Amino acid sequence: MVSSLRLPALTSLISPSFTRRSTVSLRRRLHLRPPLAAGFSAQSAASSPTETEDRVDSKKSGRVQDRGSTDRVITPRSQDFNAWYLDVIANAELADYGPVRGTMVIRPYGYAMWEAIQDYLNVKFKETGHSNMYFPQFIPYSFIEKEASHVEGFSPELALVTIGGGKELEEKLVVRPTSETIVNHMFTQWIHSYRDLPLMINQWANVTRWEMRTKPFVRTLEFLWQEGHTAHATLEEAEKEALQMIDVYTKFAYEQAAIPVIAGRKSKVETFAGADKTYTIEAMMGDRKALQAGTSHNLGQNFSRAFGTQFTDENGLRQHVWQTSWAISTRFVGGIIMTHGDDAGLMLPPRIAPIQVVIVPIWKKVDEKTGVLDAASSVAETLKNAGLKVKLDDTDQRTPGWKFNFWEMKGVPLRIEIGPRDVSSGSVVISRRDIPGKQGKVFGISMEPSILEAYVKDRLDEIQSSLLQRAISFRDSNIVDVSSYEELKEAISLGKWARGPWSASDADELRIKEETGATIRCFPFEQPQGTKACLMTGKPADEVAIFAKSY
Amino acid sequence: MENKLKSKSNHLPPFFVEHMGGGEQKKAGGGGKKKEVKKETGLGLSFTKDENFGEWYSEVVVNGEMIEYYDISGCYILRPWAMSIWENIQTFFDAEIKKMKVKNCYFPLFVSPGVLQKEKDHIEGFAPEVAWVTKSGESDLEVPIALRPTSETVMYPYYSKWIRGHRDLPLKLNQWCNVVRWEFSNPTPFIRSREFLWQEGHTAFATKEEADTEVLQILELYRRIYEEFLAIPVTKGRKSELEKFAGGLYTTSVEAFIPNTGRGIQGATSHCLGQNFAKMFEINFENEKGEKSMVWQNSWAYSTRTIGVMVMVHGDNKGLVLPPKVAALQVIVIPVPYKDADTQGIFDACAATVAILSDAGIRAEADLRENYSPGWKYSNWEMKGVPLRIEIGPRDLANNQVRAVRRDNGEKTDISRVFLVEQVKGMLEKIQQNLFDVAKQKRDACIEVVKTWDEFIKALGQKKLILAPWCDEEEVEKDVKARTKGEMGAAKSLCTPFEQPELPEGTKCFASGKPATKWTYWGRSY
Repeated sequence: MVSSLRLPALTSLISPSFTRRSTVSLRRRLHLRPPLAAGFSAQSAASSPTETEDRVDSKKSGRVQDRGSTDRVITPRSQDFNAWYLDVIANAELADYGPVRGTMVIRPYGYAMWEAIQDYLNVKFKETGHSNMYFPQFIPYSFIEKEASHVEGFSPELALVTIGGGKELEEKLVVRPTSETIVNHMFTQWIHSYRDLPLMINQWANVTRWEMRTKPFVRTLEFLWQEGHTAHATLEEAEKEALQMIDVYTKFAYEQAAIPVIAGRKSKVETFAGADKTYTIEAMMGDRKALQAGTSHNLGQNFSRAFGTQFTDENGLRQHVWQTSWAISTRFVGGIIMTHGDDAGLMLPPRIAPIQVVIVPIWKKVDEKTGVLDAASSVAETLKNAGLKVKLDDTDQRTPGWKFNFWEMKGVPLRIEIGPRDVSSGSVVISRRDIPGKQGKVFGISMEPSILEAYVKDRLDEIQSSLLQRAISFRDSNIVDVSSYEELKEAISLGKWARGPWSASDADELRIKEETGATIRCFPFEQPQGTKACLMTGKPADEVAIFAKSY
Repeated sequence: MENKLKSKSNHLPPFFVEHMGGGEQKKAGGGGKKKEVKKETGLGLSFTKDENFGEWYSEVVVNGEMIEYYDISGCYILRPWAMSIWENIQTFFDAEIKKMKVKNCYFPLFVSPGVLQKEKDHIEGFAPEVAWVTKSGESDLEVPIALRPTSETVMYPYYSKWIRGHRDLPLKLNQWCNVVRWEFSNPTPFIRSREFLWQEGHTAFATKEEADTEVLQILELYRRIYEEFLAIPVTKGRKSELEKFAGGLYTTSVEAFIPNTGRGIQGATSHCLGQNFAKMFEINFENEKGEKSMVWQNSWAYSTRTIGVMVMVHGDNKGLVLPPKVAALQVIVIPVPYKDADTQGIFDACAATVAILSDAGIRAEADLRENYSPGWKYSNWEMKGVPLRIEIGPRDLANNQVRAVRRDNGEKTDISRVFLVEQVKGMLEKIQQNLFDVAKQKRDACIEVVKTWDEFIKALGQKKLILAPWCDEEEVEKDVKARTKGEMGAAKSLCTPFEQPELPEGTKCFASGKPATKWTYWGRSY
């Protein structure tokens, strides 16, 4: 099975496949590594504590014993960030390996986070005048070749279909890596006059980039995204649109995902293949590496010239349209995981969390069970009716302690405990995920629906803003202002972000990358006042840039 | 399809080319009254539904702005007008399956050959249609990778991994995605395309009873999509052994019928896979008694084909006819200014009408473009199938009323602006109902009950939806297929309806003369 599941040529970097059917039980006996923890990417070899295996093992045996928290221990985040990330993804059931190297299966808990992103953005896109549509996944290779820098940027990563229905295809087809080319091909047919502009569309789709180094959510061969494409009559309108959409992303990151991204413009070196300007939101992950979490491109007339996308303006003159494109992908889910969270596992912002409140009923004696479960169900019902996402964990296979750890690891923002004493006093105990231990625990909250609902909603709001505040402090304490290359190198070597004036050449930028591993993440929109001297050349600089290592 | 459909953008229907060209000319020439008139005349369809159904269809999906043809045969662009219908149905279905505790997820598009070939019967059904990635960048892949034609074989190795004990059951997953089937026979927008969008649900249960129950629950949702949303009557039933899903235990479906072509069309399918895949993929669990057993599985899907069936059933010679429940736009408001009339007042009334309707949750817009005449706009929105048109002219303004015109039957009604929302809501409901009633009437008129082979052949020639007593033997169906082979395609069983008329003792199979065991629908199909 292994050989059939993977491409031998591409697996040399990677550890074994997710399953070997014929020997599956044997593997588990021998405590071989479970798949995801065994390494999605080359880097992950260091991951996977043996505890993960115990869990799979105990589950398989069907004789599930309660081992307290021991069977779900994940590598502490503070100890090995990457191992923590992979452990969390496996244990919280966010994703699993795909059958082909570098692909992933997004499991319901991870997919629900993507749905939360979709639900928010889809509404915003429509509010800002965009319509959804769907373009074919296959693009004739000749389309891709039309825009020179575009093909140069993408060609090594293109997946090509050459056989279909048992026949060699006349022209090889590209499995879309992004849709600018096909979009322009169609825009050319749809746009005739200024009255047809602006044309603003979006699609939710899968895209493919044949990457060598992959990591779940962050970089996979196939990923899900939305891609917006617009055409305008003027450069100004296109620029306004590109900025408007990066603003939508920024608001989403702050308000929904509690990620304090830094919005700015990419350097020329980092600009999208085929764009005039690329705007980006850059997020600082828990290991202080930067994650490009969303981009919006002002494409200028590059694609419209390549594809002849013209319109007749109000004076009867033929003009090329001005375009933008912008995208956010399932990578953002990785960003949420890596921004929040602690040694115990995930910590999800309430507005993204698939489960906002978990209810754990607690009973010891059999005669207590019914009363506790009844109360727990009625609390669950109350909160569900209030529009909250609630999970009642009433299985009797696990102890309350085990459940506490489990749902903490899954990052559920609030936990409600209900025991016999709570039932008789008509109250519940509520614990916050973001404040560990006793400090985050409040006793005696009334079960009375209106009181409980208000209390829970307030706490969720508090958690939402506290996660953001925490991430802001973390970010700000890890950005260093630098005025020389030496200072930059030091900051980067400490794992921090360096912010400094920059007006040096592309070659200098590449040299920094070579020597420090850091790249210009962006020229942030928010710029300090006053005159500045380039950290590299000492010459006057208009802007500061942020340098960091990135995913 | 009887008539070959055009499938390349350079073979666009003549009207389309003319239309696009005309637009350009007009604007390039500065726009003149004469040109506009010419354009207005060009706004129709060049084929009629009754005479040239195939051409009519391919023209109406393009002119109605649902589809754009593309350079790759069998791949189509779904434009916002179609996509919003898809989204409206999706919103309904997604919420319903979530109530059933089905969860969404996403499995990869890429399938390695080994996985694809795991289930033999299954792959035999799909292998000829698979598209293969053989290169990445400049380099050849050592093993080609397939693009999913469906995801059973992609998903089930994971089910094997995830399902251990009875507490892991039921496992109910669904995904919304694209699938690829590289077919060569007549690609037709929505109906048969090489890439399409669908949902595929895959569930696993501890018992057959649970699986059986879910098959029917899902089938009922599919019926509701067709009947309540798309206003298309469908028949629920079970597929014959020959027509069932490859590798499954049994297949149920909702079947629609296109009177114009006399063809049945499978609307959506809900399969009970039994334990066949569980056996192949070793999807076992330990039951409450500690014994090892295999899961029972279902899979179920509906696709963008739904939209094609809707176009075929409701469309007319003026273009699309959209059922209000799924239409992106339910009401289009058009100002009808005359010379010397209070144009601004009319425009304001249009805007106010849209605002009132929108506030009431009705999807309404005004077409205030000044470069088109009201007549042109009427035709344009009729082509796009908007259920209700509201016209506001000077007389309406004076009488504080609007004129409402139904797309389905052309009926005109003056509505006082005082009762606007109630009236419009009522009319939209009536349109929705009427579309269904008319479609049902037409479909029912095509049903022919036959008892002998001669009657069968005659009814087939008359493009009927044939209900015949059958012995339910695979060989007999193969024989029917062989005997009806021809240019139009062979007849086959469509489904055995759950609602069975009485079958008197001694009734013979229409094809074999053996004792019949059931009534089954037969016909040609898409």
